[in-house]
Amino acid sequence: MERAPVRAPLIKNLEFKVGLLLALTALITLAFVGYVLHARGVFEPSRTLTLTADNADGVSVGMPVTYSGFAIGQVQRMTLTDSGQVHLLIDIPEKNLRWLRSTSVFTMEKPLVGAAKIKAFSADLKDPPLPANAERELFTGDTAQEIPILVARLKGILENVEAMTQAGSSINQSLASVSTLTQRMTGDYGVMEGMLGSAENARKVVDSIDRANTLLKSLNVVSLKVDSTLAKTDQRLFGQAGVMDSVQRSLNQVNGILGDARESLKKADAVLANAQGISADIKGATTDIGTLRAEVDDSLTKVNHLINEVNRKWPFARDAEIKLP
Amino acid sequence: MLEAINGYLTRRGATTLAWLGGWASLIGFAASALIHAVTPSTYNSATRSVVAKQIYFTAWQILPGFSLFATLLSFVIIRIVVSTARDFGLSDYALETVIRVLVLELLPLITALFIALRSSAAINTEVALMNVHNEIKALEDVGVDSMRFEFIPRVIGGTISVLALSAVRGVIALALAYLVVYGAQFWNFAAFSLVVSKVFSLPILLGLSLKVFMFGLAVTVIPISEGLRAPQKLFFVPIAVLRGMVRLFFVLMLIEVASLAIKYI
Repeated sequence: MERAPVRAPLIKNLEFKVGLLLALTALITLAFVGYVLHARGVFEPSRTLTLTADNADGVSVGMPVTYSGFAIGQVQRMTLTDSGQVHLLIDIPEKNLRWLRSTSVFTMEKPLVGAAKIKAFSADLKDPPLPANAERELFTGDTAQEIPILVARLKGILENVEAMTQAGSSINQSLASVSTLTQRMTGDYGVMEGMLGSAENARKVVDSIDRANTLLKSLNVVSLKVDSTLAKTDQRLFGQAGVMDSVQRSLNQVNGILGDARESLKKADAVLANAQGISADIKGATTDIGTLRAEVDDSLTKVNHLINEVNRKWPFARDAEIKLP
Repeated sequence: MLEAINGYLTRRGATTLAWLGGWASLIGFAASALIHAVTPSTYNSATRSVVAKQIYFTAWQILPGFSLFATLLSFVIIRIVVSTARDFGLSDYALETVIRVLVLELLPLITALFIALRSSAAINTEVALMNVHNEIKALEDVGVDSMRFEFIPRVIGGTISVLALSAVRGVIALALAYLVVYGAQFWNFAAFSLVVSKVFSLPILLGLSLKVFMFGLAVTVIPISEGLRAPQKLFFVPIAVLRGMVRLFFVLMLIEVASLAIKYI
């Protein structure tokens, strides 16, 4: 039975001990509350930074914002705006503001295990400081979301690799063919033997080339001969005193002879007309016939000469015959 | 047949009524105790003396031994949590987990349970015996308000004891957690402060205070109330203590579960 009054005289310094305990408790409580308030930055001037993000998955109030792995601030409040954007109000004590510059970038990373992390990056600490009440975008990189896509792609790649490496795959066959090819290339006919399949085929090709070379040499000689023939023909046909030249002259002569023949024939016609009048003037007639005979003889001689000339000059028509009227 | 059913139902009904009556008188007593506690006229040199003695017996006497035990328990739990977290690559969360588990939940509950085992059982027995021996009535007959001079000081003393012990143990656990996680140096105090500031938000601080206060109230109000309700027969005293202890355990667990539910659900 615990009866305080009975035991009362046994307690030494009761008031002091209880007072000490109470004082200790009060001290602990006050100190702790003070410490927590200090830790929460109540006694320290701080500045607010607003980060905007598309969603606040994994973000919680009190979450630290780190710079180079050191916490420089924490999420104070999260709000959803009317436009559906998330605004994260970050509380940053003024002593930590020097790590943030106007060019600082803020990212949120969500690792596979553990909570998301908000990180600040300042490329150049000499840049102008972050303005008061600044608003910055929070870039989010979600590892977990990309993993299924990554796995699907990796699976495809691995399947391809498997198909490539299994026995009888195209790549193995190709490699075997390459091996055969290179083996053949080491033969007497080198690359050509590799391409044609055997040494015999390669030899045939070499022979063909040799023959073609010989043929080309003969052709060269032939073409030289043809060349000289052509030159000669040219000379005979179109050169000075050539066939064409003679033909031209002959034709001129033929023209002249034919003109003469026509004249003679006209005269014969006149003679015949005169013959009709023989009865009337027989005397005059005998003299005219003598002249006519001389002229006809002359024309005949000219034509004869022409025929001979043409025959001499025209090599292709041996049977040329001029029929006189 | 009908009589049997009737008798059974009557017994059940009586038990339920008694059970409900127990809670009703408990709540009534707690309300009355609170009202007395905040009334300045309750306090005079006599009540102060009883409060001081109650605090001495409940808190001061067990302070060294129980603090040693709490330190040992805290150390083991911190080591387990920290090394496990390190193995899984979650060291960042070790300190927060340790603070939440030990300072917010485990230490206040263990403190309340230990005081319940030690002082509440004693108070329950004492009040039940006083009741059996008609001492309460005798005191009232000579004009001494038993509520004011016997019970309220015990309630106040018990509550303050639980608050004081929880505070001391919490600070020991925090210091121990710092030493285990960061070692014996002060360079990481800023990081530690950050975790502390994250865990102890204003609602959490208020919730913790309220929880410890309710633990303190429960460990004294329930035994006194149960002792007073015991029939005035000597052989009912053990039954009264038993009932009081079961009810106290139930209430402590209820407070703890409710606090957890409010915080994390």
